Amino acid sequence: MRLNRRHFLAGSAAATATLGAPALLRAQPSEYVIASSLPLTGPFATAGQMVAPALRMFEALVNEDGGIGGVPIRVTAEDSGYVPANALANYQRALATEPNLIMYFGDSTGFMKLVAPELRGENARLMGSTSFASELSDPANNPYQYLPGPSYEDQFDILLQQIADEGGSTVAFIFSNTEFGRDPIAHGRARAEELGLRVVLEEATREQGADIPTHVTQLAQSGAEFCILQGYVTGVWPQLIGGARQFGLPTRFMGTFWGMENAIADRVTAEAGPILDGYAGVMPYKYFYDPERGPVYERYATFQKTAFAGTPLENYMPTWGLQALLSLTIGVEALRKVADKGLELSADNAAEALSELRDWDTGGFFGVPVTMEANKIGTGRVYQYSAETRLFTPTSDWFTV
Amino acid sequence: MITGNLKTSYRADEQVLNNRWKRGFVLAAIAGLAAIPLFGNNYIVLIACQMGIMLIAVTGVNVVIGYTGLMSLGHAAFVAIGAYATVIFHNAAGGVIPESLLTLVAIPFAVVVSALAGIIVGLPSLRVKGLYLAVATLSANFIVIFLIEEQLFAPWTGGMNGINTPTANLLGWELSTRRELFWLIAVLAVLALLAAQNLFRTRVGRAFIAIRDRDYSAEILGISLYRYKLMSFAISAAYCGLAGALFAYFYARILPEQFDLHLSLMLVAAIIVGGMGRTMGAVYGVIIIVMVPEVIKVVFGALAGGGAELAMIRAPIQEIAFGALIVGFLLFEPFGINQIIDRALRALNRWPFARG
Repeated sequence: MRLNRRHFLAGSAAATATLGAPALLRAQPSEYVIASSLPLTGPFATAGQMVAPALRMFEALVNEDGGIGGVPIRVTAEDSGYVPANALANYQRALATEPNLIMYFGDSTGFMKLVAPELRGENARLMGSTSFASELSDPANNPYQYLPGPSYEDQFDILLQQIADEGGSTVAFIFSNTEFGRDPIAHGRARAEELGLRVVLEEATREQGADIPTHVTQLAQSGAEFCILQGYVTGVWPQLIGGARQFGLPTRFMGTFWGMENAIADRVTAEAGPILDGYAGVMPYKYFYDPERGPVYERYATFQKTAFAGTPLENYMPTWGLQALLSLTIGVEALRKVADKGLELSADNAAEALSELRDWDTGGFFGVPVTMEANKIGTGRVYQYSAETRLFTPTSDWFTV
Repeated sequence: MITGNLKTSYRADEQVLNNRWKRGFVLAAIAGLAAIPLFGNNYIVLIACQMGIMLIAVTGVNVVIGYTGLMSLGHAAFVAIGAYATVIFHNAAGGVIPESLLTLVAIPFAVVVSALAGIIVGLPSLRVKGLYLAVATLSANFIVIFLIEEQLFAPWTGGMNGINTPTANLLGWELSTRRELFWLIAVLAVLALLAAQNLFRTRVGRAFIAIRDRDYSAEILGISLYRYKLMSFAISAAYCGLAGALFAYFYARILPEQFDLHLSLMLVAAIIVGGMGRTMGAVYGVIIIVMVPEVIKVVFGALAGGGAELAMIRAPIQEIAFGALIVGFLLFEPFGINQIIDRALRALNRWPFARG
């Protein structure tokens, strides 16, 4: 057979297909895996147990949209008991057993800090988490870790600005004696000074079972007009507010993300009366019941109504679940950008794509388009709780710090 | 009693591994350990390293609880002291001692600092014992964690935020991966075990056992309780300090919460489940405490799938299964797994002439 142009082209195409097929197969696995650690047992099991179904919903909806670059995702979860070393073992197990692991979701600041120095070379994966720790917003040192909202320091900035705008002059910081509680304190002290506010009390408490009367007495003696609470989830902060009200203190209380769950505030109101009325704090996202919730929340609501019928998630998604969903959405969005460019879904490429999330419409999580700056989204607004409506409602416009 | 274990010289009788079965077992174990970094995946190496570090600490706890009969619920404090001493030493002596020698000096430094802390924490053992001593040692755990977290010491300890740890370097060989670090951990764990086994053939070890069995009888026999109780605490804390030093090299960052009461309880639980006062008790205890939860996770994960929603049900069941396993051991064999293994080996040794 003579080699003419047609034969040459056909032969080349066949050779390319034969030689290229394995590479193509390698580039397109049958699924991508997103693994996670959740506190399904231990002190924060309440939150973990509510977030786990949200992950299943996330998997289903991403796959409905064609997965990542046409490849479906699988989301796995493992219990950490809120012990950082357990979460680290979970991460290592996922690395060893899931060859298509493209992203990880961690469940504590402790874990994120423990794992951060290990995210190098083949051990690196894009990593979102439940934490808003300020130290994690550091792309120079932790390029793969990101925050799905403002850091605790940012949240303190927003609250202190609010206090200054309202003409306040004295503020107290009460925080749990944990890394979580102490995170924004030094920064908050400096920021208060800049704004001309006097920090009259810095009081550390236990994270559970704190000695409420002692702390309330300290607060009373300080004479603070405002008090910011930090480092609590389900307990201590409502008791502190209740104790202050019993004491007759006029202090106005404020909190950050983990102290802003509507379900907890409702439970407190049902059990202890309207003690939380007027309690305000920073929430990066719209609440699930927001009348102007966007298309993403609507889609979640439709899914939840059928998939979670008869459970507390049938009509509501707690803020903890929204945070996990947004964190995963950010990661998938970055990975999709990488896939669209035809690049490998490596941690380095994904980290680079994070910085491309600019003026991004999240479809309802935030009321404004947001930008990933220094591996965090510094946007949020102040909400206030009303014991009458039993809802947190916004009292400020959206801030970006 | 092992039958047919005949000796023809005192030298043979005095050997640590005094029969061919023990020698064979130790050689097989060393070969098994060597296979881990060569053939195991990252996860297996991770768990093996964790077990090695725990094994050294549990062996230390065994010295004070199992052999000397002094209850302690504060040994996580010594692990913490060892870990933080290592990091502080690296940071302080970094420019003075060559990098290739730092680890070789830092580890003994951590061991000595922990041993000194052990002497201080052991002081109450001269006046109280049993539950009272447990409470006294428990306070050591809280005090040490409190001091580590204190803002005053934060420039050295990192306070609440923890501190990044250095990479081990043995004469220029940088142990930057877990696979490399495993060699160091495994060698030190085997040496620590052999040293513990040997300790109880010495005058000091026998004094510890005498104190455990009846302290005032031991004193009448001429054993100084003051000296040997403190020595027991010091040796025990030194083991934990060594574990702490390896802990610091193993994790890229250490946080105070890693050394809280939970770790102290795990150390005690391991030795109770494994078998107190027996060298291999620490080994079996660590297998149960560290490896079994992981095996349960892997088995349950394989059976039920790794799905997020199933994990909600799986997680508490895993905890219950692990708890039931420990309760089962305590109910059916209060002397620990070591006793079960001993019984099985005896039966095997006498078979077919006798059982049990």
